[in-house]
Amino acid sequence: MSKEIKTPGYIVYKIFVLVLMVLLVLLTITPLVFMVCASFMTSKQILAIPFSWIPNPVQFSNFYKAVAGTLNTWTFPRNMLNSFIVSIAVTLSTLLLAGMSGYGLAKFRFKGKNFVFITIMSTMMIPFEAIMIPMYMISQKLHLMNSYMGLIIPYLVSAFGIFQMRQYLLTFPGEYLDAARVDGMGELGIFLKLVMPNSAPVLATLAITTFRSQWDNLLWPLLVVQDAKLKTVPLYITSFSEEKHADEGALMAVALLSSLPMLIAFFALSKYFIGGSEVYESRKG
Amino acid sequence: MFGVGSPFSGGNHLKQKKYRGIERKLAIWGFGFNVPSLIFFAIFSFAPIIYAIYMSLYDKRVLSLKTPPFVGLKNYIDIFTNKGIGFINSLKSSAIFSFGAFFPLVIFSLIFSVLLYNNFKPSTQRKFEIMWYTPAVLSSVVATTIWMLIFDPRGLGNQVLNLIMNTPGVDHKWTTNPSMLRFCTIMVYFWKYIGYYIVLFITGLGTIPGTVYEAARIDGASRFQCFTRITLPLLKPTISLVSVLCLIHCLKTFSTQYMFYQSGAPLKPINVISLSIYTTGITNQRIGRACAMSIILFAAMIILSIAQLKLINTDDVDY
Repeated sequence: MSKEIKTPGYIVYKIFVLVLMVLLVLLTITPLVFMVCASFMTSKQILAIPFSWIPNPVQFSNFYKAVAGTLNTWTFPRNMLNSFIVSIAVTLSTLLLAGMSGYGLAKFRFKGKNFVFITIMSTMMIPFEAIMIPMYMISQKLHLMNSYMGLIIPYLVSAFGIFQMRQYLLTFPGEYLDAARVDGMGELGIFLKLVMPNSAPVLATLAITTFRSQWDNLLWPLLVVQDAKLKTVPLYITSFSEEKHADEGALMAVALLSSLPMLIAFFALSKYFIGGSEVYESRKG
Repeated sequence: MFGVGSPFSGGNHLKQKKYRGIERKLAIWGFGFNVPSLIFFAIFSFAPIIYAIYMSLYDKRVLSLKTPPFVGLKNYIDIFTNKGIGFINSLKSSAIFSFGAFFPLVIFSLIFSVLLYNNFKPSTQRKFEIMWYTPAVLSSVVATTIWMLIFDPRGLGNQVLNLIMNTPGVDHKWTTNPSMLRFCTIMVYFWKYIGYYIVLFITGLGTIPGTVYEAARIDGASRFQCFTRITLPLLKPTISLVSVLCLIHCLKTFSTQYMFYQSGAPLKPINVISLSIYTTGITNQRIGRACAMSIILFAAMIILSIAQLKLINTDDVDY
């Protein structure tokens, strides 16, 4: 914007805008600060009137309780590991399969390509919530209940991922592919050694989106997993908060511990979190 | 795909034959790359939805071993006429939640993104974006856990509200009063997603060329005129897309309501469609009925998705 004359009205306007911005920051950040502070407090302090923000005394035992569980079952580390295993497996398979599909749709010509594309895109209209009951029954038939496979297989690839890959690869220069073919590279080799390494930005964005949605997933694990050892972090939190004698401080410690991986990733890679906005990408198509 | 000058675009007959061979090989590869995904979607998207349509016509209950009796559209008629099932209430709860979260989210994210974009330099914008976006990084389960503690009768929510309204010691019944409970679930959503939608709008604003504003300012347009006459019309594609995205998002909500319900809040005001499908199908084992509900949700989603496709295709602006 161009330089403006600093009239009193202009200054008032600027201050007003700044106050609004800061108010929203207060709204978004305060509950986070509350989570961090409360994770070091006893339940009595958390629910004290008036509330004091500084934990006194600092209650490190909350973290012990969070990890050990109220019944000393020590399932939390295992549940964290489960969440990592499932999220990483789903992310890797999504990158590979969405990459393949997106590449096939963007850079090849074959009969029925449009039909394939529309078929894949139409699955975006099927909300998971509407197919969870049949999925539950299919998984029972396929013996996927209570297993890693059951958590992973229904999410192997997503239509949105394929769409993103296709949009990105549409601009990939076909001359490179032809040159590689002339040099005698196989089609699989071209895909793995030429196309995928050159799609790093879109792969990073897609990896973060996929990992986050799995890390966040509550509904499907709720249906498919009953065994405490196979539970993922969201399930651990729900069962932790349901336990009658779970105290609030330990609950906040669980919340904080389970959010740390995503928070660290966000502050390290915020470019890929914020930059890869879906709407804009789909508009460009 | 091979342009003129590409090694595969030969002219004479012999080359033409070879070219066709390569073309066919490539076509097979192109389709082959799609086969794994197609198989996946056949098993985990199309089969379940067809199965859901099929099952919605039967009175299937998991516990009974005999083949379920065919009941035609009875499940659909039941869920819409039998008040005891509470599906009408679910539709109402979903509608209240969706619109209750949708309007504040879209309106506030639009206002904040425009104010941020027009008044601060990019590096400052980035800092605000990061601070606003942070809640979106947390999982819905964690977000709801934090807010449930804030909405505790002895929690921060009451204390802050009492401080603002100068009503010491009053309990505002966040999680026991039906409307307050609805407000709580909407609040969790608003808090978690406001930054996310602001970022989407900022990206959209970035596509409007600055020269348009400069021309308007030279012609003497006020700040407010710039917003209503330039920003809003040019941002229309982004606004409509974000709106549909947000509505779809809100309609699919599950975790927040589930957590509140599990912690002992009354079910009725927050029994949104997905939660209703879950309790009907999994808890009460009324599979047929739950599938009928699923198909209603699916139908709503199709309508929204078609709207989204229409918006992507027709609403583009050329500069």
